[in-house]
Amino acid sequence: MPAKTVKKLLTIVVLMTAFGGLLWGTLQDGAAYYMHVDEVLAEPEVWYGKNLQVHGYVVEGSRTWKPDTLEVRFQVENNGAVIDAEYTGVVPDTFQDGSEVVISGQLGPHGFSVKPNGVMAKCPSKYEPAPTLGTAGTLASSD
Amino acid sequence: MASLGSFTLLVAFIVCTYAAAVSVAGARRRSPRLIESGVGAFYLLVALMLLASAIILHAFITGDYSIRYVDQYSDSAQPLFYQLASYWGGLDGSIMFWVTLLSIFGACAIYSNRERQRELIPYVVAVIAVVEMFFLFVMIVHKNPFATYLTQAPIDGRGLNPLLQNPYMAIHPPSLYIGFVGMTIPFAFALAALITGHVDDSWLRAVRRWTMGAWLFLSLGLTLGMIWAYEELGWGGYWGWDPVENAALLPWFTATAFLHSVMVQERRSMLRVWNMTLVIMTFFLTIFGTFMTRTGVVQSIHSFGQDRALYWMFIVFMVVLLTVSFGLVIYRLPLLRARNELESWVSREAAFLVNNWILLFSAVFVLFATMFPTLSEAVTGLRLTVGPPFFTKWMLPIGLILLTLTGVGPLLAWRQSSLSNLRYQFAWPVAAALLTGAGLYAAGFRVWVSGICFALCAFVIGTIGQEFVRGAVVRREATGTDLFTALIGLVGRSRRRYGGYVVHVGIVLMFLGFAGSGFKQDAQMLLRPGQEHEIGRYTVRYDRLSQNTDSQKQMITAHMTVMQDGEQVGELFPARWFYFKHESEPTTEVAMRRTVAEDLYIVLAGYELDDQAASFEITVNPLVNWVWFGFTVLALGTGLALLPESAFAYAGAMAPSGAATASSLLLVGAVTLVMPMTASAQLLEGARQEVNVPTTQLEIDMRRSLVCMCGSPGCGKKILAECTCATAAATREELKRLLAEGLTRDEVLQFYIDKHGSQEALAAPLDEGFNRLAWLFPYLLATTGAFAMGGALVRWTRHGHEPERTTSQTDGTAHLEARLDDELRNLD
Repeated sequence: MPAKTVKKLLTIVVLMTAFGGLLWGTLQDGAAYYMHVDEVLAEPEVWYGKNLQVHGYVVEGSRTWKPDTLEVRFQVENNGAVIDAEYTGVVPDTFQDGSEVVISGQLGPHGFSVKPNGVMAKCPSKYEPAPTLGTAGTLASSD
Repeated sequence: MASLGSFTLLVAFIVCTYAAAVSVAGARRRSPRLIESGVGAFYLLVALMLLASAIILHAFITGDYSIRYVDQYSDSAQPLFYQLASYWGGLDGSIMFWVTLLSIFGACAIYSNRERQRELIPYVVAVIAVVEMFFLFVMIVHKNPFATYLTQAPIDGRGLNPLLQNPYMAIHPPSLYIGFVGMTIPFAFALAALITGHVDDSWLRAVRRWTMGAWLFLSLGLTLGMIWAYEELGWGGYWGWDPVENAALLPWFTATAFLHSVMVQERRSMLRVWNMTLVIMTFFLTIFGTFMTRTGVVQSIHSFGQDRALYWMFIVFMVVLLTVSFGLVIYRLPLLRARNELESWVSREAAFLVNNWILLFSAVFVLFATMFPTLSEAVTGLRLTVGPPFFTKWMLPIGLILLTLTGVGPLLAWRQSSLSNLRYQFAWPVAAALLTGAGLYAAGFRVWVSGICFALCAFVIGTIGQEFVRGAVVRREATGTDLFTALIGLVGRSRRRYGGYVVHVGIVLMFLGFAGSGFKQDAQMLLRPGQEHEIGRYTVRYDRLSQNTDSQKQMITAHMTVMQDGEQVGELFPARWFYFKHESEPTTEVAMRRTVAEDLYIVLAGYELDDQAASFEITVNPLVNWVWFGFTVLALGTGLALLPESAFAYAGAMAPSGAATASSLLLVGAVTLVMPMTASAQLLEGARQEVNVPTTQLEIDMRRSLVCMCGSPGCGKKILAECTCATAAATREELKRLLAEGLTRDEVLQFYIDKHGSQEALAAPLDEGFNRLAWLFPYLLATTGAFAMGGALVRWTRHGHEPERTTSQTDGTAHLEARLDDELRNLD
């Protein structure tokens, strides 16, 4: 009996380490840090070249498209910190002035380059409606 | 009405508490009267929940916007169907819907098992009642769907989110809830078995069908969610490993594992602790899924906002749930010891065991990866996220292993397979796999994962085909009939087994679709009118942009021509719709050219009205329709396994002579079931009509009271205001002309009645039919509830007067007979 228990335990340990190792290995290149704009800009150099997901709000009027292309430049801000971002591709419907976005990509000295399909925009009323009825003005300021 | 609703919920809570308490007391004191009373209280709960549902539906239909929930999820412009569907459009209503469903399901399960599972019933009632109490508690103190505005009530509601105004989305949540709620029933029986110590296999038999049915609805819910994401969200895929999706997938894994391991317990009396664990885990994961998506514990674009109070309620409930359930399992461990041991790794039970481990591992992995951002933040303070590539990297090999096991399992014998047996069973399927693989390689396919997947699909289909053919041949020799009759008889004799094989075929077809995504092509571009883009075998030309409006929304439509080898093969109309109440959130109306081999999928991503430039996302999705087709087969297989004995006996008695005809009819039936899918390829957003805006209120009303009569499956019977096909446009023109001639409402209606020879063209026959029915529906529901309540009361009081001795005696014989019946049924 004990020999059998030892066998079982060994199998479990081996399997666990194998899976753990694999998991760790794949996590290394699959994971991205999820931060807010101000957190990243506190020490930008630290984050150069790392996979990032940056959370913030699109600055009003900052979205400019290069004519005849899908290249868009925009700014994302959070708590007063502003980051420049560039992206080529189709943006989601909810990517509007002032909307809450998460952009994934990498930070460099010249700003944030967003990887393909890396713009995710949250719409405040996507599933849960905004808390109060009212004029557009109060809605915008409640964010 | 709102306060009546709140009051009903309160009473429901009290009744629940009573049902739980009195059932436990009755079981402990062995008092049939108390137990009866508990069951009666549970039936009363059904009545109360039906009443509460009736009240909220009534509020939705009549537009009682003083109720906050109604205001937030409905408005008067919404079609009636979506007004009703708004019931489960938000969290508060979803919980109430859940409670209602659970009470109904619970009552059915209790009713159908009241004789056979006599010892378990009081505890089953108690467990379900406690679960209901939790949700009722959440509703009463925190998420009351009947909460009203304290001050001024709005005049019109804010409307259901346009993204959710989609037929798939209207039935997707109920389907998932049915699956989730269905999983509560096995859990209740498992817990009752643990509490009473009757942990033999009889509780399993009581819940087998429930689990299978719940599993079917869970699968249906997942598939509908995929179709919705694919057709409505417009990112070209159907599964994004989003927490909300994962939450529904987790219990599916454990439920699938349970459906397999339950066979091992039945055959070999092994894995009893394991089965208990799986049932408990499945139920836990349904609760955990709700917790994960609804309390904001996991950050997601799709999640539903943060809620601390809800967070703590769920945490407490889940901790209690896990402690009690696993505490009981540990307490009953001595009774749960297996009677047999695994004899060989080359046996069917071993294959099932491996299948279970992998399914459980999938569940744990998906759970881990979904929770990883939250976990990493808790541990390191930095939030690390993982994306779909991470999931894919892991789930790909896991899926392939599972697919292999799907084929291997049925080939192995119980206990141990001999070498000659292996050779006999594996030769043909392996040959099929190798041939497919070689064929693909020769044809120039070089996507390895997909190639392996195709080969494995061939292998599994080979094994299943072999099972059917060999079984039918043996039966033909034994009974001396033709092959078809033998096949039907074979399936009829062991429906679970062959139904299971059909489910496997469905799974294989779905995997074909998954493998196809390895060949996906995808491009984003900006085009001006007249410009072309080449993708895959297609050349797509962008012609122009048009703009038109109906009562609910403004529509911007791009006109595209699809060409193949220089020849025009079709036109596509991707569009963006701006619902008037949600103008900042346009919905993407994907245009698709669907074929069995691949979908051409075009999204209008952005546009400039002045210079007509537009950006598009074009995707070619090979084999994607096989996923939906596979699900249809899966559902048919599950239905086959669920079919009651009598149905097959009847079919057998009816068609002994024309069996071949009957089976070919069956085949035709199956094909027709699948046909609508390919037919819906014609679902073009055919916005060829020019701008035709209604000018008078009468015209707006009339557009809403007539339906499109073109009869194409894409339009169905959409009301004229909404249908986008050419016939509808022509009818709108005609309507405008008629009204301009000065016809009144009734005259116009008469015109269309004469034109079509019936009232078919009217959206709602004015004084009868659906509209009236819909208005009546809540009252009907309330009446049913009242009757059920009255019935329960009558039953109660009657049982109180009857001499107890006789009751128990007759019940005893009935109970014995039922049990004998059950044992006989399970002999096969």
